[in-house]
Amino acid sequence: MKHAIGRLSPRRRGVNVVTTQVVRFGGAAVIAAIALIFFYLVWVVAPLFWPADVEPLAHHDRSGAAPVLVDIDDNSEIGLALSETGVVRFFDLETGAAITSEAISNTPILDAQRVFPGGNRYVVRTAAGLFFFDAAYAVSFPAGQRTVTPRVDWPFEREPLALTGTGSFDVHRTDSTVTIATLSAAEQLTLMSFTDAEPGYPLEFGRTYIHQLETAFDRVLFGARGQWLYLIADDGVIEVWDIRVPSAPQTAFRGRLVPEGHAMLALEPLVGRLSLLVADDEQRVTQWFMVRDEFGYRMVAARDFELDAAPLMLLAEARRKGFAVLDQDLTLELAHTTAHRITARAQLDTDGTPSVDVAALSPRADRLLLATGDTMWVYAIDNPHPDVSAAALWTKVWYEGYTEPVLSWQSSAADNAFEPKFSLTPLAFGTLKAAFYAMLFAMPVAIMGAIYTAYFMAPAMRRWVKPGIEVMAALPTVILGFLAGLWLAPLLEANLVGAMFTLATLPAAFMLFAWLWRFAPATIRRACDGWYGAIAVPVLAISIWLGFAAGPVLERLLFDGDAKAWMLAELELEFDQRNSLVVGIAMGLAVIPTIFSIAEEAIYGVPRHLINGSLALGATWWQTLVRVVLLTASPGIFSAVMIGMGRAVGETMIVLMATGNTAVMDLNIFQGMRTFSANIAVELPESEVGSTHYRVLFLAALVLFAITFVFNTVAELVRQRLRTRYGSL
Amino acid sequence: MNSAGQARRGWMASGEPWIWLNAAAVGVSISAVLGLLMLIGAQGLAHFWPAAVQEVNVAGRDAPLLGEWVDHETVPLHQFLEANPGVQGEGLGEFVERRLLKTGNRREAPPDFRWINAHDIVTQASPIDALVIERTEWGNVYGQLQWVRFDGETTTNEAFTVLKRGLERATTLRDEIAAIESGIIKTINSELERLRLERRRAALRGGASGASSSGLDAREAELTVRYAAAESRLRDRQQALRRDVFSVRLADGTTTEINFGDALRAWQPNTMGIGAKLAHYGQSLWIFLSDPPREANTEGGIFPAIFGTVMMVLLMSVLVTPFGVIAAVYLREYARQGAFVRLIRIAVNNLAGVPSIVYGVFGLGFFVYFVGGAIDELLFPEALPAPTFGTPGLLWASLTLALLTVPVVIVSTEEGLARIPRAIREGSLALGATKAETLFRVMLPMASPSILTGVILAIARAAGEVAPLMLVGVVKLAPTLPLDGDFPFLHLDRKFMHLGFHIYDVGFQSPNVEAARPLVYATALLLVLIIIVLNLTAIMLRNRLEARYKSLEG
Repeated sequence: MKHAIGRLSPRRRGVNVVTTQVVRFGGAAVIAAIALIFFYLVWVVAPLFWPADVEPLAHHDRSGAAPVLVDIDDNSEIGLALSETGVVRFFDLETGAAITSEAISNTPILDAQRVFPGGNRYVVRTAAGLFFFDAAYAVSFPAGQRTVTPRVDWPFEREPLALTGTGSFDVHRTDSTVTIATLSAAEQLTLMSFTDAEPGYPLEFGRTYIHQLETAFDRVLFGARGQWLYLIADDGVIEVWDIRVPSAPQTAFRGRLVPEGHAMLALEPLVGRLSLLVADDEQRVTQWFMVRDEFGYRMVAARDFELDAAPLMLLAEARRKGFAVLDQDLTLELAHTTAHRITARAQLDTDGTPSVDVAALSPRADRLLLATGDTMWVYAIDNPHPDVSAAALWTKVWYEGYTEPVLSWQSSAADNAFEPKFSLTPLAFGTLKAAFYAMLFAMPVAIMGAIYTAYFMAPAMRRWVKPGIEVMAALPTVILGFLAGLWLAPLLEANLVGAMFTLATLPAAFMLFAWLWRFAPATIRRACDGWYGAIAVPVLAISIWLGFAAGPVLERLLFDGDAKAWMLAELELEFDQRNSLVVGIAMGLAVIPTIFSIAEEAIYGVPRHLINGSLALGATWWQTLVRVVLLTASPGIFSAVMIGMGRAVGETMIVLMATGNTAVMDLNIFQGMRTFSANIAVELPESEVGSTHYRVLFLAALVLFAITFVFNTVAELVRQRLRTRYGSL
Repeated sequence: MNSAGQARRGWMASGEPWIWLNAAAVGVSISAVLGLLMLIGAQGLAHFWPAAVQEVNVAGRDAPLLGEWVDHETVPLHQFLEANPGVQGEGLGEFVERRLLKTGNRREAPPDFRWINAHDIVTQASPIDALVIERTEWGNVYGQLQWVRFDGETTTNEAFTVLKRGLERATTLRDEIAAIESGIIKTINSELERLRLERRRAALRGGASGASSSGLDAREAELTVRYAAAESRLRDRQQALRRDVFSVRLADGTTTEINFGDALRAWQPNTMGIGAKLAHYGQSLWIFLSDPPREANTEGGIFPAIFGTVMMVLLMSVLVTPFGVIAAVYLREYARQGAFVRLIRIAVNNLAGVPSIVYGVFGLGFFVYFVGGAIDELLFPEALPAPTFGTPGLLWASLTLALLTVPVVIVSTEEGLARIPRAIREGSLALGATKAETLFRVMLPMASPSILTGVILAIARAAGEVAPLMLVGVVKLAPTLPLDGDFPFLHLDRKFMHLGFHIYDVGFQSPNVEAARPLVYATALLLVLIIIVLNLTAIMLRNRLEARYKSLEG
């Protein structure tokens, strides 16, 4: 051989070598590309479960007086510090270099806070009263270079609004109004409402309501959507008022946020202010929110977070249901309520300074700014996906405002205050439900069809049936889905009773026909041997026609003329036009050819001598089939069912078009479902690349990939074993 | 036990009823295939037939209705009475028949579809002068022609002849307008866009040199002049198109004037003979196949969808054939046969069963955002932040589907290679051919029918696949085709339309599903036909192949 190649012309040898290399490389590349699918999906999904990372970024000397409020701009580039002498200073977050500063008050600042909800508006209290300012960040491109210029803006007239109380206050802003709540030493709560004004104009005063309190409270907070007002005492006593009618507020709940005898160390509302986070002296943070059940409103403690040390300060994220806890030993713990997960614990190094005066998380929750003594500390936080955990994906989660933990998929967010619900369980349930009903229809039809085709059918007919079924396998599922949604669903809805009656009685109808067939002349019977499948077509058509015709009569007799109303009243079953029955039939049709072909192959491949032996021993054809053929072919049939199942689990278009795609968890055959595949097809194009939603959808794809891969591998292994067994027989 | 009982038991034991049950399962499968094909065929083909226009007098309506019957249903009386609370049920029988009349005139007298109770129909006639006009917008008009003003001259006698002439003139003008718009104006626009990008690229590279910048300016000025000229020619044609008007009397007695610029076709179905109807049918079919869609895809044709599907499938086969064949040759001829190769074979087999949406997810994440994003940053920085390849498009769709179908080609090719008798391969080697020569001269030619079968099956699968395409490149309406006369002619980055997605979109996302339904059936029919033809070809090829190898082995 070697000798022969040695005498080859260089051209021939070159071609041979190049071909070998190209084939080796190309083959390996294709196989690598196939493997890449799996690894890429894993690569996208993995960051969901990574812990967060906190790194010191910079620290710089604070110039000017001590700050009463610090904050960070939307892009985490610029820091803001309001000093107690009334100077707003903007500085570069990384270098600490001053950008601008502006004196906004002549009198010393008592306290200052962000206005609820969101935005860069702040409210400041001095001895003279309250005033508002905005931090504006103008972006320009001088010489192609992106430059951000911060400045202080005045949303209303600068003149402070006189306040009656000196205690805690809070401001709530809607599109057209500004409401201020203040606590006074005289145990009074004052609610003042104003109409929003144009810049430069004074807020137009509306009404003032003064309410006498029964006990003293130390803190007042507006809650979600202007409905709630939280009144909290330092010992943990809380009253929640419904202030939708500000002149006559209702006390909706009264209780304690920490057990009696324990102290409340910090309190912070979560974004959207549906929930309150309460840190107590047992190294614990508890999430509380209002729920409404049959007994009315009450506040529930949904979940606890165990901390490493006693908490000092709570900071809520502005865009997620996450928060940071700063412990008294200056450990930073990052947590997320929905996922019930602490993603990071980091010891902050502040040069031995034991306390923190003020702190802020950036709106993107990627920077932490601390003011301690004379220094500003900046930390970079890398915490992209705290909102997902294995438990949150698969088990019940107690979402804000729900009376109990539920399984729910609601990914779309109207605003930052919305709590995304990423439970894959309803989708997995929908996927399995769709596959179950499809298999319920497809399995008997396909396997029995395969038995007849492989074992009883005349060869002349088999030559036509096999390609016919192959054509059926090739029918685009979009066409099946379209017919299911636009033709079958309305048809079944209009003939519900008839259709169900037909499905239930069809086997009986064929048994009846088989019984009648005995009385057909023997010559005809013999001639039709092997052609039963063809004779079944008109019988089927007549049975369906009769069944549908009987529908209205039965409906009148059994269900008072309206089966849907009867089901709702008697069985509490709701009816959707696009339901599991429609999906079952349509997807069943898509799966039948797959199961049919493989099962038929397995039955047809049963060695002839086994059958002949059985027949020779006096067994009938039917006995031989049941006791010998099916037994021998059963692994093949099993593998056919597995592959069919794999196809039903992943099918997209039929489910998308033939169901309502609502993620309900209900086995009711007359309701729809939302499957993994349809969910991906609907939501992936709209999800932001790299977001948690995007990665969770990739996770759904990975789950789908894994399920089908397992099904197919098992089926393939069974089939290979079967092949060797047939070979040895 | 009596003999009848014994006989019955014997009958049960013979398995005869169970055999019938098994036969029934075959019957269900066969009926499902045939039934589906017949349903799609009947609904899809019936749409183009010029149906007779009926004038229907309905009880309780002063004016008659004019339109085509398109559907009917029978409703049990009690359901009917529930839906129509005011109606007396006496004398109606157990079932009520309702018919759907397409009355058109969506702008003048909506709605365009009306359900009419059969027992409410007083009289029904087919007036011979009933006229149907297909418009560019607002759907069909049904009425009677009153007069035509053509070139300033108003005709009432022989008006239909003049109308036909006017429509022919309008068609010619419309073609000219389309030629200008999609020809010169589109070319100039794409040139201008190229100039803008060139400028930006120069700026990104750090300051444009004076000479090239002034060259660009001159070029832009010239293009602007040409654009103005083309635009004035276009305006000219557009004015000419809107010169003539005709008037139609509607069934309710009102008249409406229709500009020739808005009318596409007109016919009087009640006077048409079978020949004329056939001609009309052919014309409608041709328009359906060759025209772009109108009215949010609910009217007009599906040409861009056919074109997009074909382009995508062609590109996919160009990608899938060499890779599939190389992988199969590697697995069968070059790789060392062992546990690893067996494992790969199982994996390849399995991939054929992985849901297509998973491929779509991979395509979107890897091809579009990862690879496409990288290409944009390296090669097209001037267009950013608008993505060029970092967005779903033709290339990514083809690549994704190539990956989806590559197992089909691999499996089929491997089978073909495995079937070649050892003697033939060894004979070739013994005669002194190298391994490569044996591969190219003996193995691949002998396996070519299997390769072809695999490619055809891959094409059939790709043509019908929709779910992954929804993620990586199809759109409901693409403004441009992926292949045209502008540099670089084949636009791999463009989004495209697809028959399968068209069915989903028009059937489920369109505002007027009732009006769109016939078109969806017609589209479905076309898609089914393409796929069945492809599959039958593959099956026939395979059968021929089997016969050939049998003879070889013999």
